[in-house]
Amino acid sequence: MRLNSSGSTKTTFADKLVLLFFIALSLSSFFFVNEVLPQGSEVRIEVAGELKYTLPLSDDRIISVEGPMGTTIIEVKNKRVRVVKSPCPNKICLHQDWIERGAVVCLPNKVLVTITGPQQKKEIDGITG
Amino acid sequence: MESRDRYRIALLSAYALALHGFEALIPSPVPWLRLGLSNIITLVTLFFYGLKPALMVTMIRVLLGSLLLGTFLGPAFFLSLGGGLAGTLSMGIITALFPRVFSMMGVSMIGAFFHNVAQLVIAYVLFVQRIEGILAVAPFLIAAGTLTGAVNGVASRYLINEIQKQHSPALSPTEPI
Amino acid sequence: MMKFKLLLLLAVLPLSMLLLSCTSGKEKPYKVSRIAMDTLVSITVYARSEEKAEKAMDNAFKELNRLSDLLNFFSETSEVALINRSAGVSPVKVSKETFEVIEKALSVAEDTGGAFDITIGAVSSLWDFHKKTLPDPELLKKSLKSVGYKNIVLDKEHSTVYLKKKGMKIDLGAIAKGYGADKAVAVLKNNGIRSGLVSVAGDIKTFGAKPDGSSWRIGIKNPRPQSEGEELIAVLSLGNNAVSTSGDYERFFIKDGIRYHHILDPSTGYPASGCRSVSIITKEGVYTDAFSTAVFILGSERGMEVMRKIGLEGMIIDDEGNISTTEGMKGAVELVRKH
Repeated sequence: MRLNSSGSTKTTFADKLVLLFFIALSLSSFFFVNEVLPQGSEVRIEVAGELKYTLPLSDDRIISVEGPMGTTIIEVKNKRVRVVKSPCPNKICLHQDWIERGAVVCLPNKVLVTITGPQQKKEIDGITG
Repeated sequence: MESRDRYRIALLSAYALALHGFEALIPSPVPWLRLGLSNIITLVTLFFYGLKPALMVTMIRVLLGSLLLGTFLGPAFFLSLGGGLAGTLSMGIITALFPRVFSMMGVSMIGAFFHNVAQLVIAYVLFVQRIEGILAVAPFLIAAGTLTGAVNGVASRYLINEIQKQHSPALSPTEPI
Repeated sequence: MMKFKLLLLLAVLPLSMLLLSCTSGKEKPYKVSRIAMDTLVSITVYARSEEKAEKAMDNAFKELNRLSDLLNFFSETSEVALINRSAGVSPVKVSKETFEVIEKALSVAEDTGGAFDITIGAVSSLWDFHKKTLPDPELLKKSLKSVGYKNIVLDKEHSTVYLKKKGMKIDLGAIAKGYGADKAVAVLKNNGIRSGLVSVAGDIKTFGAKPDGSSWRIGIKNPRPQSEGEELIAVLSLGNNAVSTSGDYERFFIKDGIRYHHILDPSTGYPASGCRSVSIITKEGVYTDAFSTAVFILGSERGMEVMRKIGLEGMIIDDEGNISTTEGMKGAVELVRKH
């Protein structure tokens, strides 16, 4: 035999350490990855304080919701969101155009569209003005 | 290399190939989760003959296995090749650096780890290019690899014990090549 | 034996990594946006658990709704409406919150020589920015007579407010949102939150530090975005402070080439000219909100003077687009370069 048979065919102390090491490594990497990984951003659509839709920002689609004044149409495309059509008189929500973060709100029709998701380091925490 | 050695390597490769094919028949709950049964043969080869024959057995198993299963030069082939080479190399190096410190169980777990790391790197470079996806599966691959590595290691130990007891003519002890 | 020690070290290393990731990564950001105080309110908090964050934010929103019920100019049932209805008739007993806001509004009026004046209500109700029509000049002239903060009588002992002249109206719209941000922050703190941000429309107050130690990054809106990606003109690093911006782009209409916006000069009753946007930074949102309006009305030069005198930090963009900042702002503000 080239190798000492007893040394290679019985579980050694080093084996146990290796087992422990890898178990600890997989557990810690699991928690580490969970902390670091960005979860996908979501679009939340609320009408009069009630959550109507939650959808991933990465899915392109057009959604319409009914508010007290009528139908508001919201478009999600290329990881951006905008209000396409709104029955409100001032159309502030339409003028906001595409947003990548934050929220579009239509006060008259009580529609609130927010983009939620974990913030990156260089991300803006708030907007004044 | 003597002709007797060639014959043994061919025989071991055939065993590895058989296990490889057998494993392909077992349905897996997750596509990237593999038992790596053929690694038992790699470990046995490594134990009796050393690194070079173990690498040869691995190469033959990967090449013929992919031809048989129809994955030659496909994504699975490159993952299998890179993982197999990295795993076998790491196991050979670890036994050479620390002789008698680990049993084949420890060696196998280390091999499984490097096998998986290599596959992740290859997957990242060649196919996925999204670090999130790689990072997300890494902890599970490490955990699964440790488990299957330990099981394969223990299995190879039984096999080695049996072979040593029987002094099978095909696998009689030789000097390292 | 050396090898074993080495291996032991290898086993201990990931274990300590595990412990570290458990203890340090626990405070996560939670952000909720809702409609409150007739506008969009966003609250961000860093908390250990979702329940704790949601409970705190819920209570903060409740506080904002309570304040809105007291201070809303447009609601029939608010204390402000009651004060306005009782103008020239009798003093009105009010809550300590309403009293506090009016008291602070008067101090800002004093500090700015009347550029900030909550009695603008009589004039501002003549302007309609949805219908895009100018008020009748005669009516405006008449209503202007009802403007004058000196005719507000406060009685601290009895907590009453009295408007001396009939027809006088107070409008806390230019100060209530900042006050709301302050109060919401106080509620969050009382609920055990150590760091967070409250944004009531554009009036933002932050407290505590983010878990990674970085300061809060607040974007300042570009008053004249020419194309996509020019939404912000600057980014501000804010720590434990409040910031408000008043701009001529928020509510306005353009008629015969003239921009009519919602920031009215109490001396003329017409939109103030000279600035596109004014951002003010100081400790309390109630002051950033009021002073951003006041400085806007004063214009770039006189505005800067007042800021220097009182010790406010800020940034002014004048009507030609020139940006000037106070000394203390240098280093805290980075201009967004055009791509």
